[in-house]
Amino acid sequence: MANTTNGSVIKWQHLLLWAIFLGGLALLPELADIKWIKRGTLRTFIFANYLAIFAMSWDVLSGRTGYISFGHPFLIGIGAYTTGILNVRFGVDPMFSIPIAVLVTMAAGTLFFLPALRISGSYFALITLAFMELIYQLVQVIRPDLTGGTRGISGVDTLMRGAANNYYLSLGLMGTIAILLWAMMRTRLGTALSAIGMNEEAVEGSGLNTTKLKLFAFMVGAAVAGVGGAFFAHYLGYVSPRGLFEITLAFTIIVSALLGGAGTIIGPIIGAIFLTFLLEILRVKFSTELTDAWPVLDWLETALKGQGRFFIYGLVALVIYMYQPKGIIEIVNRLLARIRGAKA
Amino acid sequence: MIQILIQGLLLSGLYALIAIGFTLIFSVGRVLNLAYGVNLMLGGYAYFWVSQTLGMPKLVGVAAGAGIGILFGIAIHRLIVKPLKSDPVPVEIATLILAVVMQAGVVLIFGDASKILLPIVEGNWRVAGVSVTANRLAAALISWVILIGLYFFIRKTHVGRAISAVSMDVKGAALSGINPDRINTITWGLSGALGGLAGVFFASVTQLYAGMWVAPLIIAVAVVIVGGIGSIWGTLIVAHIIGFMEVITASFMPEIRGVVTMLLIIGVLVMMPKGLFGRGEL
Repeated sequence: MANTTNGSVIKWQHLLLWAIFLGGLALLPELADIKWIKRGTLRTFIFANYLAIFAMSWDVLSGRTGYISFGHPFLIGIGAYTTGILNVRFGVDPMFSIPIAVLVTMAAGTLFFLPALRISGSYFALITLAFMELIYQLVQVIRPDLTGGTRGISGVDTLMRGAANNYYLSLGLMGTIAILLWAMMRTRLGTALSAIGMNEEAVEGSGLNTTKLKLFAFMVGAAVAGVGGAFFAHYLGYVSPRGLFEITLAFTIIVSALLGGAGTIIGPIIGAIFLTFLLEILRVKFSTELTDAWPVLDWLETALKGQGRFFIYGLVALVIYMYQPKGIIEIVNRLLARIRGAKA
Repeated sequence: MIQILIQGLLLSGLYALIAIGFTLIFSVGRVLNLAYGVNLMLGGYAYFWVSQTLGMPKLVGVAAGAGIGILFGIAIHRLIVKPLKSDPVPVEIATLILAVVMQAGVVLIFGDASKILLPIVEGNWRVAGVSVTANRLAAALISWVILIGLYFFIRKTHVGRAISAVSMDVKGAALSGINPDRINTITWGLSGALGGLAGVFFASVTQLYAGMWVAPLIIAVAVVIVGGIGSIWGTLIVAHIIGFMEVITASFMPEIRGVVTMLLIIGVLVMMPKGLFGRGEL
């Protein structure tokens, strides 16, 4: 399987796999009444879906071309703020404010692209970090009457009511973006983008215009980030500088894409779901008999309620990344290959 | 005017100390250590624990700050940079993850609330008619002593010249009988010690809390980017440019003091990607 999917022909099997994967996820709210899935789980999945959108956007921009962005929240935040400002301050309907937000984010993506013309590698990562810090500070001081200063904007129209409806919306969005990106990456364009990540000079030597290709990748990445950011703002009902332009959000996005497997479509989705649930699973509750017998478990429980979860979560991410920088998808593929090899 | 001059000098001295350890790694190890801010945080907390919780002399606390910096620096080199074969982008990502892990670890041990460090040197001094706390002045003076000491260490001692050689050309240095691996370990330890020390002073003039690693990291990144890779003089000059710019903008428009630094980074990187004094050697 690992080798056959590399061909550029779209077969019905692929579509079937997508349908099974997304269909399985779509059944989740139906299971919500069953005991082991609690109400809160659905909210966790909604966040996982948005995180997956952000991670896919990061992957188009950075995972493929090798221009690592540490400031991805810059683009997401611009999308969220544009729709928030239009909706709350000017009373624009989300029907129009979201598309406008996507266009503005794409324009911001061009700004992101300018440094990529001259620099790459570590320097590019740092400049994107500087972009994020810059917008974080600017948004608080320039025109606070529009951006709401440090407090942000509240009262953004929500599109859906109830966790289940919001879940379907986020899943539909994520699924559509995933399939579109997946189809795009199977064309010659996608192959060329991945080739830039491997060796930019060689691509240029083959007579392709790498500047145009990079600009295209940045535009697509920015558009996806804008869609994700705008819908996320309408889901939360507010935008705030602290929640958006945070190094921890950048960290979570990058880690989801890398842990799942950069340079694939399914990888960032798996990474986002894995990370979100790792954080949830760590919220353990031991029975009283156990904590009476082992007082240390009591300590562990209180520790895991707070920052302890983030400690273990980061540690797991670090260990997986150090063990296999290509991510979970590569680990699974190798495991499958080993099992198949043993059979043959 | 004289106020701005003195405030600027004091701030710049501290910034230079913060940036110098970061530059060392960048020029010798050829990687960006995004967990460098954690060195400062650990240094600050070690000083707090030893001198304020255990009640030991302040000097022991400062030494503990430097000591934990050395250990952490060498640990990063051994456990992250070497297994990743010094590949710049993976090292950046792994050290960023490590920084977040360490932040959570510190909260786990010391709690979420920010701690107030007692001033390392007490009292107020009047310099040219401007009143400054002795603590700030001491921080700036000590960072100057350390920077001058480091300059002579790099130029005059055998190990220092070996560090310089490895930063110029690893293969050439190895051919001359220098063990680059040993020099790398020494540099990571040295950078860690400088970071730990800078952390003690940085925390004593600002605040000690688990998220404090971000601000000094951004300062260090700004200084190194604008100054160019690993020139000690470039670092010193740019630390002063950034320090003075912050003090001057803070006196006119306090809200945008951070904005100017970021604009400077972006501007310089786009105009001259190698920095103002970029050389790629120490």
